[in-house]
Amino acid sequence: MQSSALEKTGDSIKNRAGLDHITFEVLRNLFEYTCDRMTAVLQRASFSPILSDMVDFSNAIYDPEMRLLSQAANVPVHLAAMKFSAHAIRDEFGIENMKDGDIYVVNDPYRGGTHINDISWIKPIFYKGTELLGFAVSRGHWMDFGGGAPGGQSWGTHIAEEGLRLPPIKAFENNEMKPEILKILLANTRTPHFIQGDLQAHVGCLKAAEEEMQSAAERYGLETIKAAMAELIAYTERIVRKKIESIPDGVYTGEDYADTDGQSDDPVKVQVTLTVKDSDITVDLTGSDPQCLGAINSPKANTHSAVFYSLQFFLEPSAPQNEGMFNPISVVLPDDCWLNPKWPAPTIGCTVLAAPKVASAVWQAIANALPERAVGSACGDCNWFVCGVREPDGKTDVFSDLPAGGWGGTPFNDGMNVTMDPLGNCMNMEAETAELMFPIAYEAFDIRQDSAGDGHHRGGVGSHLKIRFLCEGAMSVETARTREGTPGVNGGQRSSPQRLWHLRADGTQEIVGGLTEDNRWLNPLLRGHKLSYGDTFWFETTGGGGWGNPLDRPVQEVLDDTLDEYISVEKARDVYGVIVDMATRTVDEAATTALRAAMRTDDA
Amino acid sequence: MWRVGVDVGGTFTDLFGWEETTGERVTAKVLTTPWDRSVGVIEAVKKAARDSVEAVEQSGIPFDQISCLVHGTTTATNALIERSYPTPALVTTQGFRDTIEIGRQHRQDLYDPYQVKPKPLIRRRYRYTVPQRINVKGEEERPLDTAAAQQVAETIKAENIRSIAVCFVNSYVNADHERQMRDILLKHIPDAHIMLSGETRPLFREHGRFVTTAVSAALKPVMGAYFDHLLERLTQQGFDGSLLILKSSGGVMGVDLAKEHPEELLESGPAGGVAYAGYLADAIHEPSIICADMGGTSFDASIVEDGKGLVTREYELEFELPIILPMLDIHSVGAGGGSIGWVDSGGSLRVGPRSAGSQPGPACYGNGGAEPTITDANLLLGRLEPTLGGKINLDRQAAEQAVSRVAEQLGLSTVETADAMIQISCEIMAQAVKKVIINRGRDPRDFVLTSFGGAGPMHACFVARAMNIPKVIVPAAAGVASAFGATVMDVRQDVEQFMYAPIGEVDLDRLNSAYAELEQTARTLLARDNVSAENVLINRTAQMRYVGQTYEIETPIPEGALTRDALVSIADTFHAVHKQEHGVSSDIFDPAFVSLSVAATAPTAALPSYKSVAAENIVAMKSSRSVYFSGEWIDCPIYNGQILQPGAELQGPAILEYLDSVAVLPPGAQATVDTQGNLIIQVGR
Repeated sequence: MQSSALEKTGDSIKNRAGLDHITFEVLRNLFEYTCDRMTAVLQRASFSPILSDMVDFSNAIYDPEMRLLSQAANVPVHLAAMKFSAHAIRDEFGIENMKDGDIYVVNDPYRGGTHINDISWIKPIFYKGTELLGFAVSRGHWMDFGGGAPGGQSWGTHIAEEGLRLPPIKAFENNEMKPEILKILLANTRTPHFIQGDLQAHVGCLKAAEEEMQSAAERYGLETIKAAMAELIAYTERIVRKKIESIPDGVYTGEDYADTDGQSDDPVKVQVTLTVKDSDITVDLTGSDPQCLGAINSPKANTHSAVFYSLQFFLEPSAPQNEGMFNPISVVLPDDCWLNPKWPAPTIGCTVLAAPKVASAVWQAIANALPERAVGSACGDCNWFVCGVREPDGKTDVFSDLPAGGWGGTPFNDGMNVTMDPLGNCMNMEAETAELMFPIAYEAFDIRQDSAGDGHHRGGVGSHLKIRFLCEGAMSVETARTREGTPGVNGGQRSSPQRLWHLRADGTQEIVGGLTEDNRWLNPLLRGHKLSYGDTFWFETTGGGGWGNPLDRPVQEVLDDTLDEYISVEKARDVYGVIVDMATRTVDEAATTALRAAMRTDDA
Repeated sequence: MWRVGVDVGGTFTDLFGWEETTGERVTAKVLTTPWDRSVGVIEAVKKAARDSVEAVEQSGIPFDQISCLVHGTTTATNALIERSYPTPALVTTQGFRDTIEIGRQHRQDLYDPYQVKPKPLIRRRYRYTVPQRINVKGEEERPLDTAAAQQVAETIKAENIRSIAVCFVNSYVNADHERQMRDILLKHIPDAHIMLSGETRPLFREHGRFVTTAVSAALKPVMGAYFDHLLERLTQQGFDGSLLILKSSGGVMGVDLAKEHPEELLESGPAGGVAYAGYLADAIHEPSIICADMGGTSFDASIVEDGKGLVTREYELEFELPIILPMLDIHSVGAGGGSIGWVDSGGSLRVGPRSAGSQPGPACYGNGGAEPTITDANLLLGRLEPTLGGKINLDRQAAEQAVSRVAEQLGLSTVETADAMIQISCEIMAQAVKKVIINRGRDPRDFVLTSFGGAGPMHACFVARAMNIPKVIVPAAAGVASAFGATVMDVRQDVEQFMYAPIGEVDLDRLNSAYAELEQTARTLLARDNVSAENVLINRTAQMRYVGQTYEIETPIPEGALTRDALVSIADTFHAVHKQEHGVSSDIFDPAFVSLSVAATAPTAALPSYKSVAAENIVAMKSSRSVYFSGEWIDCPIYNGQILQPGAELQGPAILEYLDSVAVLPPGAQATVDTQGNLIIQVGR
C-alpha cells in the first residue's frame, strides 16, 4: 500500500543512502516511538518503586552491528553505558551465535556495567526468525542484589560487598527463562518480591520493541530498514559535527570535587581538559585523582556516559540519540584513576556521585568555551538513599528515595526549583504511595528557604525531606556538596551545602552528615545508620548555582522571592541589597538604592 | 421542541440542533466572541439554518422552543492555561506546602539547561500549612491545630480570598480534618467556596489530588460567573429549557453541578467530537472508531470502543499538572493546515510542530507568510481550489515561492517537496493515532477512522493507509461535529473511592457495600439533573494492579452482589486487560483492587431519522483538474460534496468540495455515500 506509493516517488526524489526523504523521516520517528513505547510498558508494568515511581531505567534499540539506533534514556547517565553492556554480550557470545528467542543479561561493572544495581536485558530481534534486524536493550536499576547493605550501598572497599555480579550470560532461550538463573536472582536479594514482576516488565518492553521493528521490516523491507539505520546514524553525526564546528577551537579546562570516597576525609578531584578542534572534541580526564579505596569509583562505561550526557546539553540534544553522537567525541582515561577503576574496586557511587562531578567539570570547561551560554551548575547529586526497614513482626523491606536540589541560573532565567540533577530524570516517591508500601511517614517534602545560589538569575531552590520511621531503619546514603554548595557563574554565588539530620523520638537532634553548627565536617556517606521507631531522618538538599551579580537582580523579583519565602528578609537585605518590609509588603526604595550603591562600592 | 448543541471553540461557535418529533435538523457556524462568549452563542441560535440544496435558509430557533441546550466550552481550560482567575488559597498539611509546585521533581526536556517549569497554579505566598496528621490507616495521629487553623483563616480573610482548596495528606482515607478545617474557614469567611481534596476525588497520591483540587478552586469563580451570565442572557431571550454542560469524561451534567465541579470541564470542547464518533459507531455499525480532528494547528486523536470514548486517568493539563479524573483519552500533536515544512541541520525534511497559525497564516493567504505550510502544499498539488469555492483568493505564486525555498535545500522539485511534506505530515498524524491505540494494546486494523475538522478529510486516506486502517468515514456533520455530539450525549456521573485490597484478602461485604454506596451517590447526583431512577445505567469498574505495582489498569466489574466466584472471574479479567495494555501478565502475582469506580449514565432521547429534502437529478460533479498523486499529475474529477446523494459511488482519484472542508480520494480509494449522508471510503492500497 503506502510502500507502493513510495516506490513510485522513489525514482523522482533524490535518493540518499537508497532512501527517500519520506521513508527516512518515517523510520526516524518510528525508531524513537519504539523506545518511547518500551518506556511506557516498563514504567507501568514494573513492580519495584525505583522503576515505576522513580523511573530509574532506560531503553534502547541497536542495529544488527550493535550500533546505537535510538534510545529513550530517562536517565542520562545510562546514555553511553548501555552500549558498553550490549557490547559485553556481543564479545562474550558473538552476534552470529544469537538466536530468535534469546535474551541476555549483564550487570558486571567490569564487563560493560556501571554499578551492580543497573542490570541490562538484551534481546536480538529477528525478521522471519532468521534475518537479524537489530537488538533491544532494557536497563533498569533493581532495588537490591544483596551485598553488605541494602541497595548495595555498603560503602566498603571491595566490589563483592555490593551484591551479586552477573557476567554476560544467556538468561532466556526460546523465550523461556532458564529456571536456575531465576533461582539465583531470587536467592541473592533483600527484595525477592520485586524480581519476577520487574523481570516480566523488562520482557514486555523488549517484546514491544520486537513487535515495532518487525512490523517496520514488514512494511518497508529489510534493505530499506538497514539503509535507514545507517543513514540515521550518519545524519546525527552530521548535525553534531556542525554544532561542534560552531564552538571556537581551543583547549578548555574545568574541575570539580566529590566530598569524600567514604574512606578518607579528602575530597576527590575530577580534572577535565576539553579540546575542540574543527568538528571533534576530546575530553581528557588526566589529572583526576587515582583509583579510590572507597566506593565512588566510576567504571569506564559510566565515565563515558557522564562525558556524553554533559556535552549533550550544549550540542544538539534534539538530534536523534544514536551512535552518530558518539563518533565526534573521544574520551581519554588515564590508567590509575577513579574514573577508570580496576577490579576489585567498589563502584556503587558511580552513577549518582561520580558522574555529576564529571559533568559539572565538563560544564565549567564548556562555560569557558561558550561564556554567553554558560549556566550555574546544578545541585550535582541525586541524594539517593536506601533504607532497610524491619517491622516489629520481623517483616523486612527496602525503601528508597532521592530528594532533588535546584538547577543553576541561566543567562535567560532562574534555575528550576527542586528538580533532579541532570544525571537522571527520576521522580520522587509520593508520600501516600510510600506510606502505603512501607512502615514510614513522610513529614515533609518542601522548599528549603535560602538554599539557592544567589544571582541576577538565581539558582533553583533545594528541598527539605523528612521521613519518620514506624519501624527500625538502617539508612545508607549517597550524597555530596556537603562541604560547599553548587558553584555559580558570571558573578553568581554558591548555594548552601547539603546536610543530613537525625531527629530522635525523644526530641533531641543532631547533624549526621555535612557541616555541623561548630563547622566540623562529618562524612555523609552513611552506611546502615540506625534509626529507631519514632525517629526522623531529615535531608536538606542544596540549590543550583547563581548566574550574574545578585545586585543586578530587579528589585521587584527580590520582593516577590521574599514574599513567597524562597528567600528570607535577611537574605534580601544582605545579599541583594533590597530592604523589604513584610508587614506592608513593600520595598523601602530609598534605603534600597543607597544600600545597593554601598554594596557595589564595597565589591569594587 | 428543539434539542440544541453549541460548541464554543477558540475561533468558531458551532451549533447543531434537531426537532424532537420531526427530526428536522439545523446548523450554524459563527465567530466566537471572546470578550463575551454568550454573544456568539445567542447569535448562533438566531442564525441556525436548515441545509438546503442551493441556498442556505435563514430561520433561527425560537428560544422558547428549546427544551435543552447542551453546551461545550473551552473557557475552563483557557482560564487555567492563561492563569487568569482570582487567586485561590491552598491550605495543606505542614511539610506539604510545595507539593503542587515541586510535582514529581522531574523535567520535561532531558537536555535543555535553560528550561523552566509551568508556573504553579497558586503562588507560594497563598499556600498555607497547619499542623495535623491522619495516618495511612485513617487514624488521627495529631489533631488539627485549631489555633493555627484559625490564624490561617484570618490571614486568608485579610487577603480577601474567597476560593480555597483544602488538601491534607491521607485525606483520601479519612477527610475529617479537611472537614474541620472547612468549618473553621466558614466561620471566619462565611461566603468562601471551599473544595476538599478528600471530596473532590478521594484517591491516593497527593500530588494529583492536590492539583485537581487546586484546579477546582481556581475555576470555581470563573465558571460560576460564566454560566450565570450565559443563563441570564439566554433567559432574557426567552429560553426556559435546561442548560446542560459537556464534561471531560464524555457525558453531560446540569449547569448547577457544573458550577460545583468545574474541574470536570477541561475537555468540555473536544468531548463533543468523541460523542459524535460514538453516535456514528451505532449508526454505521462500526463499534471501534478512531476519532481524528485536524484543524489549523493541531491534530487530536481519540478512540471510541463499543460506542464509548476511551477514558484515561493520566491526563496532564500541563507538564506535572495531573488531573486525576476520568477524562477522554485525547492525544494531540502539532500537525495542521498551518504546520510549517523546514529542513533541519542534518538535511532532513521536517513538518511542524511550528504552525503559521492564523497570522501570518500559510504563504498562499498572502498575509506575508514566507514559510511553506501544509495548506500551501495542498494548493500546489491541485488538491485545493484557489478560491475555496469563491470565499478567498489563494496566492499560488506565494505558495510556490515558499515551497521552492525548501525544495532547493533538498535538491527536489517544488511539487515533489509539496508531496513529501504532505506524506510526512500524515505520518506524524498516524504516529499520534498509534500513541493512543498501540500504547493501549489495540490493533489499528480493527478500527475505522472518522475525520473531522477543516483539514481532516484532505489527509484522512493517507493517515489511514499509514496505519493499515482499511476504512475512513467523512461524516455528514463533520463541520459541526462537537455540537452534533453534544446533542446525543448521556447525562453522566463518575464517582470513585479508594479501597486497597489484594484480591485474596478482599472483604466481600465491604466491597459490595462500597459499590452500593458509590451507586447511590451517583444516582443522587443524576437525580439533581431530573433523571428518573429507572433510566439509570450503572457501569462498574475497578482500578487494579498486581500487588507491588504502582500503576493501575481499569478493569470491568460485573453487576450485582459480588461473590467469591465473581472475584475469580475479576482476576481473570484483570490478567487479560493487563496483557492487552502491557503485553504481559502472569497469575503468579496477586491482583489487587486500588479504587472502585462507578459511571452512571442516563441515555438521552434518540435522534429521530430524518430524510433530507434534496432535489433529484442534480449533478454533483463540477469539473475536473490536474492533481498530483504519487509522482504524477492525474486528471481528477471534482465533486460538490454538499449535494452528493445517498447511494452515490465514487472512484479515486477524486476531490470532494464541502462548505467547510475538502475530501481527497487518492487513486485506489473507493467511496459511497450512505443513507445519512456520510461518505464511506475504502482507502485501498
